[in-house]
Amino acid sequence: MGSEKKPEKFVVSIGPQHPALKEPGHFEFGVEGEIVTSATARLGFVHRGMEKGTESRTWVQNLYLMERVCGICSHVHAMAYAQGVEKLAHVEVPPRARAIRELIAELERIHSHLLWLGVAAHEGGFDTLFMLSWRDRETVMDLLESITGNRVNYSANVLGGVKIDIDEAKISAIHKGMDFLEERTRHYMKVVTEDETFLGRTRNIGSMSLDLALRLGAVGPTARASGVTYDVRVDSPYAAYADFPIKVVTDTAGDLEARFVVRIKELYESFRVIRELIDHMPASELTTRIPRRMPEGEVVSRVEAPRGELFYYLKSNGSDMPERIKVRTPSLCNWGSVLSTAVGHKLADMPMILAGIDPCFSCNDRMVLVNQDNNLSTWSWEDLRQYGIEYYK
Amino acid sequence: MTIGSMLGDIVNSFIKKPVTEKYPFVRSETPEDFRGKVVFDAETCTGCGLCVKDCPSKALELFTVDKANKKFVMLYRVDRCTYCAQCEVSCRSKSISLSDDQWELAATSLKPFEVYYGREEDVKYVLDQAAQTAAGASEETEKE
Repeated sequence: MGSEKKPEKFVVSIGPQHPALKEPGHFEFGVEGEIVTSATARLGFVHRGMEKGTESRTWVQNLYLMERVCGICSHVHAMAYAQGVEKLAHVEVPPRARAIRELIAELERIHSHLLWLGVAAHEGGFDTLFMLSWRDRETVMDLLESITGNRVNYSANVLGGVKIDIDEAKISAIHKGMDFLEERTRHYMKVVTEDETFLGRTRNIGSMSLDLALRLGAVGPTARASGVTYDVRVDSPYAAYADFPIKVVTDTAGDLEARFVVRIKELYESFRVIRELIDHMPASELTTRIPRRMPEGEVVSRVEAPRGELFYYLKSNGSDMPERIKVRTPSLCNWGSVLSTAVGHKLADMPMILAGIDPCFSCNDRMVLVNQDNNLSTWSWEDLRQYGIEYYK
Repeated sequence: MTIGSMLGDIVNSFIKKPVTEKYPFVRSETPEDFRGKVVFDAETCTGCGLCVKDCPSKALELFTVDKANKKFVMLYRVDRCTYCAQCEVSCRSKSISLSDDQWELAATSLKPFEVYYGREEDVKYVLDQAAQTAAGASEETEKE
């Protein structure tokens, strides 16, 4: 009877405010029944104009602005920025300061990976793992507070070194904390690789082949779970990673389970390198003198954030304020992997696949102005502010 | 393959004390290096102004009462401070430190967020000056 009707495509739109994650993002999943056939993401709900903001602050003030790009990995942002500025000024940071930078970075990785473990478990409906991993994460948060003076924005860096030193009391506290966390982490490894109900949510879900990971430019543990052997800490050592190296952790499966395994194995590596660092902490000054006006020039600074490669580009015109700072955070590189691996899975798996890259939304929002009539123009801070007010009206 | 691999943890949690802290009934100890409220010592200040220049959140303001006799007054805006301790690092005379026990800084009015540090008579002088300037400014606007 009559011509056959093509089944209409149904689009499930989620966000910007949605129950899966605490940060805003808009997703549209085309579905056929329960199976996702297409996925798109729209970002940009938490753009804060920080890159522009750096241009009206001094080099010293910007250290604290850049530290606030991300709340979870605040130290690596400050470290990437400080290393870039030190490269601009041709200043060598003392070895003890470099070792302390690495120590804080690895402690931060533990806190970030444990946070992710909890969030990812929560998305999979495993709230016991969520609550207990966050309870144990308090151990490393308390350690960071006792070493640096704050739980989140540690402010351990200054341009030319670090502010804080570690003594015997702190060293023994770190040893105790690492022993407890290592025991707990080994237990969690057993849980995520053996618990049948949880494996149903992670094994063979969101699989990404090595080829696809390379093609999409994935970074960090997401890429390493697909077999990409790339880690800035090894391939281009910074801070004290040349003296206290880590081993790259990879997996070949490429699915969500592999991402759990890689991140937990990275925790083991962090525990090991932290113990080595505090046992063989080099003795030296903590800071070195650095000029207030940076010589003219441009540099690139890269570090391995908990989510992957973090990239900073700094340009100086010889004044006490930067001319341009460009930040590329790892979350942005991994969006492609979410959208391409989502296809073919059930709609219910989407929160897990999304959480699998450990996304940080406010880190990756940038503004791009497409100039169609070839008129070069520069936007001032005030223009940007007005545009924001109008946009959100 | 197992099922209920965290049952042991759940059973253990039943017999353990809750891990949540009972704040505000029990105030937990802060570590020695905790970064709380900024404390300024006007006696040792040399008035170089580096702290004001480096503060990323414009929380500090330094008034020079008498430069020759090194009389300075610091206005510290608690609500602007991000507790980064850059002022402490920048200070060459070690006049600034961050308190480890003053961290309950919430208030219901703006007044407690303006803290003046310095000798009593100097602070009074600065406040009088500010009041005079404010009065002068309001007179001028009335005339207009």
